[in-house]
Amino acid sequence: MSRHRSAGSGALVGVGIAAFVDETVFHQLLHWHHFYDKSTPAAGLVSDGIFHAFGWIALVAGLFLYADLQRRGGFARGSWWGGLLAGAGGFQLYDGTVQHKLLRLHQIRYDVDLLAYDLAWNVAAVVLLLAGVVLLRRRHG
Amino acid sequence: MWSYSGAGMAEGALAPLLLGWAYLLGVSRLRARGDIWPRGRVVAAVGGLLALAAALLPPLAGHDEEFPVHVVQHLLLGMLAPLLLVLAAPVTLALRTAPPSVRGRLLRVLHGRAARVATAPVTVLVLDVGGLFALYLTPLYALSADSTALHLAVHAHVVASGVLLSWLLVGVDPGPRRPSTLGRLAVLLVAASAHGILAKLLYAHGLPAGAAGDRGLGAQLLYYGGDATEVLLAAAILAQWYLRTGRVAARAARRSPA
Repeated sequence: MSRHRSAGSGALVGVGIAAFVDETVFHQLLHWHHFYDKSTPAAGLVSDGIFHAFGWIALVAGLFLYADLQRRGGFARGSWWGGLLAGAGGFQLYDGTVQHKLLRLHQIRYDVDLLAYDLAWNVAAVVLLLAGVVLLRRRHG
Repeated sequence: MWSYSGAGMAEGALAPLLLGWAYLLGVSRLRARGDIWPRGRVVAAVGGLLALAAALLPPLAGHDEEFPVHVVQHLLLGMLAPLLLVLAAPVTLALRTAPPSVRGRLLRVLHGRAARVATAPVTVLVLDVGGLFALYLTPLYALSADSTALHLAVHAHVVASGVLLSWLLVGVDPGPRRPSTLGRLAVLLVAASAHGILAKLLYAHGLPAGAAGDRGLGAQLLYYGGDATEVLLAAAILAQWYLRTGRVAARAARRSPA
């Protein structure tokens, strides 16, 4: 029970962190990502709106669940970290494949050869996701 | 183009001042008879009224024909002020200080059919999100810039729908049944997603039609300003859940000491 709750809290925080890093680092600091890209179809805007809002809500909810687990003494560290890595990797993989490629929301960077960027982005996402799954299975097994 | 006259300025200051006076009068009456009224609610009331005043007074009000200024005004009127005003529990204060006849009438309204329909999640979302989409994606925005009456009606709708949404999500005043914590987060997700989608639509198509000023900047302010208030709303929903479950656990622990 508390392991599942810990994994859930970690996953929400992970999704939130991935969304936060995407927004602050890639949009605001590096200016690689564009607010809007002229090739974006309507489905891209809808997906962006939902996942952008979900990222913020997930971060806040995950942190309050974390505080609640600590308060009850039911915090399972390994499950929480497993959830966090899986959540962050899963969100980044969705962003890198569906949102960037399928829905063409925006690309990782402009005026460069994208292949290396796309590979680095999605391989990093898969590594995070697998690390999280391994951690979760070890703790649950 | 509609701009603030001297009379409009006085009205802009008058509404928050009158509301603030009534609120503080109520609090002082309660305190005079020895009742407790949390200080946090007074702080929320003052903050909410300051947000209203900031939106309705210069320098913002004098330049609201500029789209970015208009967006800041709407974020204050439709999101920040309602959130704070709802947390100030003005209806509870009124119920505890008003004469019995007013109290009775207020309770009948709060528990009536109209209140139930007006506060249903679907109604609130249609009023709030639908109102925004209608204002920015139809000629309504351009029309409201030319007509004082329409301009004021739009402001009133923004405040009223914002209050309904905030009450549904984090209200402390009595009223019809509200969704569970998870349901409230779902309502917030729908409203926040719609705000984000609308902001990007405006940016993508250079809307609203006929708006003066930097429309792209206005759309980005709507996107990121909406985020900021939606994070506050999410934090308020979850803080209420955290405190409530804490109280329940403490009560259970008192009943059955280990």
